[in-house]
Amino acid sequence: MNLQFLVSGLGLGSVYALSGVSLVVLYRASGTLNFAIGALGALGAHCAWTLLSLKYPAFLAIVASVVVAAAGSFLYGRFVAPALSHRDRSVRAVSTLGFALVLLGVMGLVWGETIPRRLTLPTDAAYVELLSVRVTYTRIVALGLALATVGAIALLLFGTRIGLAMRSLASDRELGGILGINTTRVDSIAWLISGAIAGASGLLLGDLVRLQPSFLTFLVIPAVAAALLGGLTSLGGTIVGGLVIGVVEGMLTSFPELASYRSAAPFLIALLFVAVAGRSHSLRTSQ
Amino acid sequence: MSFRSGVSAFAVAAAAVVFSGGAHAAPNCGLANGKKADGAPIPIGAIVSATGLDDFSSSAKAASAYFKCVNDNGGINGRPVEYTVLDDQWRPDVSAQAAASLIKDKKVVALVGDMSIPGCGANAAIYKAEGVVDIPAVGVVRECFNSPNIAPINAGPRLSAIGISRFAVEKLNAKSLVCLTPKIPGAAEWICGGMEAWGKLRNVKVSTVTFDPASPDMTSIILQAAAGSPDAVVLTFSKGTVVAALVAAEQQGLDKKTKFVGLASSYALDLPQAVSPYWDGKYHVNLEFAPLDSAGADAQNWRSIMDKYGSANDPRDNFSEAGYLAAKATTQALLSLDPGKIDRAAVTTALKSIKDFKSDILCKPWYFGEGARHNANHSGLTAEVAGDKWKIIGECVDADDPELTEIFAAEKAAK
Repeated sequence: MNLQFLVSGLGLGSVYALSGVSLVVLYRASGTLNFAIGALGALGAHCAWTLLSLKYPAFLAIVASVVVAAAGSFLYGRFVAPALSHRDRSVRAVSTLGFALVLLGVMGLVWGETIPRRLTLPTDAAYVELLSVRVTYTRIVALGLALATVGAIALLLFGTRIGLAMRSLASDRELGGILGINTTRVDSIAWLISGAIAGASGLLLGDLVRLQPSFLTFLVIPAVAAALLGGLTSLGGTIVGGLVIGVVEGMLTSFPELASYRSAAPFLIALLFVAVAGRSHSLRTSQ
Repeated sequence: MSFRSGVSAFAVAAAAVVFSGGAHAAPNCGLANGKKADGAPIPIGAIVSATGLDDFSSSAKAASAYFKCVNDNGGINGRPVEYTVLDDQWRPDVSAQAAASLIKDKKVVALVGDMSIPGCGANAAIYKAEGVVDIPAVGVVRECFNSPNIAPINAGPRLSAIGISRFAVEKLNAKSLVCLTPKIPGAAEWICGGMEAWGKLRNVKVSTVTFDPASPDMTSIILQAAAGSPDAVVLTFSKGTVVAALVAAEQQGLDKKTKFVGLASSYALDLPQAVSPYWDGKYHVNLEFAPLDSAGADAQNWRSIMDKYGSANDPRDNFSEAGYLAAKATTQALLSLDPGKIDRAAVTTALKSIKDFKSDILCKPWYFGEGARHNANHSGLTAEVAGDKWKIIGECVDADDPELTEIFAAEKAAK
């Protein structure tokens, strides 16, 4: 078995994990599964590319990516999501899919879908060699950022009042509202944080994968799979889930019979997990 | 006049125009008499894959511009061309419906300038049964080149792969090649199969690596392609994926041991900017047509017609060049007919009789040809990334596909 692909898959898995964390943060607080995080990340990455191509400093481009995605997410969360707050979770999730398609259309108009572009970050220039694979600093940053984000989110949830409010709403939204938690404010902050993480993920994916609106938009799929492996609530589980998906997808490259179906790996892993977890849950319930 | 010498000759004229601040020359098409055609329209159709995975409508847009120019310049001996373009959405069933609609309802006399991914496979049978000829601007799949009534203007990805393989072996001293291709039904067998058959004759080791086109992890894919340390990897896909592959290869430093070359599908004016300066002089592609900035007379005429009769948003790409050529060749053939006797049978005969259609956009004259295999365009140039542009390397070279033995023999006999 070629361990090169393990190393290669870890880098991408880190970003899947980061994207998954973005989903989980919002889902825990507001109960909304945001299918637009891929598009928000793509929007941020394209803004960063524009600034870089205009010779602005990389730092500014990175900040812009995060700010634009966070702002887009906040605006949706503040002005659209409340109108749907009384609707079923599936309706709220599908509405974010509509938001993703709107963003995709906007990106198509502004940047075009088929123009080949390259997003280069300063961290691409340096690398360490591991198992004959060059691991660029961008990949190392991706892994570090995923872990640091989980730490920061855990600190927010368990060490701040807003975190307490988020946990209360996640536990019982109606009761939290009756107890005086400003649900709109808490939700808006969750949308803002989720969007910022999506912006960072989009920037990394734009660098590691390719800078193409549709491609980045639909990378929400492995992120959802990673979040599912974390049960849509566990940040640690989501990190592990993202890494597993990235590594499995990478390792499948060394099996020629399966290599052509690698993009199905996130679905299959998530499906398998849901089936096994659902079965053990029903067993526990029956006992 | 050869393609290269033609380019050189016109370079001087083009430079004079550019430096005098002049615009393109006036469009030249059809009878070129400036009179609007007002006779009975001649229905011609086209099927494109415009909506779906990608938009392949630029060839028909160029053909449409050319026919508009013809209609403004005397038409087909007084009769205007009524050009209908239908979108098959990349779906074989929709493509079949479009063909039936054009042939049965619109009563088209031919299909010209189209570019449909499922079209050739879905419609070859109806074209043959109804006696309709199709001159696609761009054929992609095997059926476009192996059907009696279909003759594309382009060389196709199989020949483009063989052409660039030949360059890699002869100019880059490659002795082993990997054909890296997305897993699309039939594509690997058609494109990489051609390279493998060619390699056997040339004693060049050719292997094929397929990948999932939806997979985002290009680093693993490129590591797999370079796993056996081949001398060259042939990238058979389009520009967006090529950029991702080249970036992954660059980050892994694979170009130190392995050369990377590509098909005409990655020849786009905006690609060098995305991969330069690292890939300057290191990434080579095959061309099926003249460079897009060619100063040749016909290349200039194509641009003039697009400027006057096309839309500013219509792409000026190789597909557009091919659409222009398909419309021009068809117009020349129709002009040889009695305008009062233009029907499907007459047009089919006229189009099948096209011989020695010359253009500086092509390396060699185009013809429809006999039999079931049509590949008049089998010769191309090579370009390499040079800063923000492409630089042409060498002369036109034939893609000596073993499948074309009969075509080469027929061409030789016709001389």
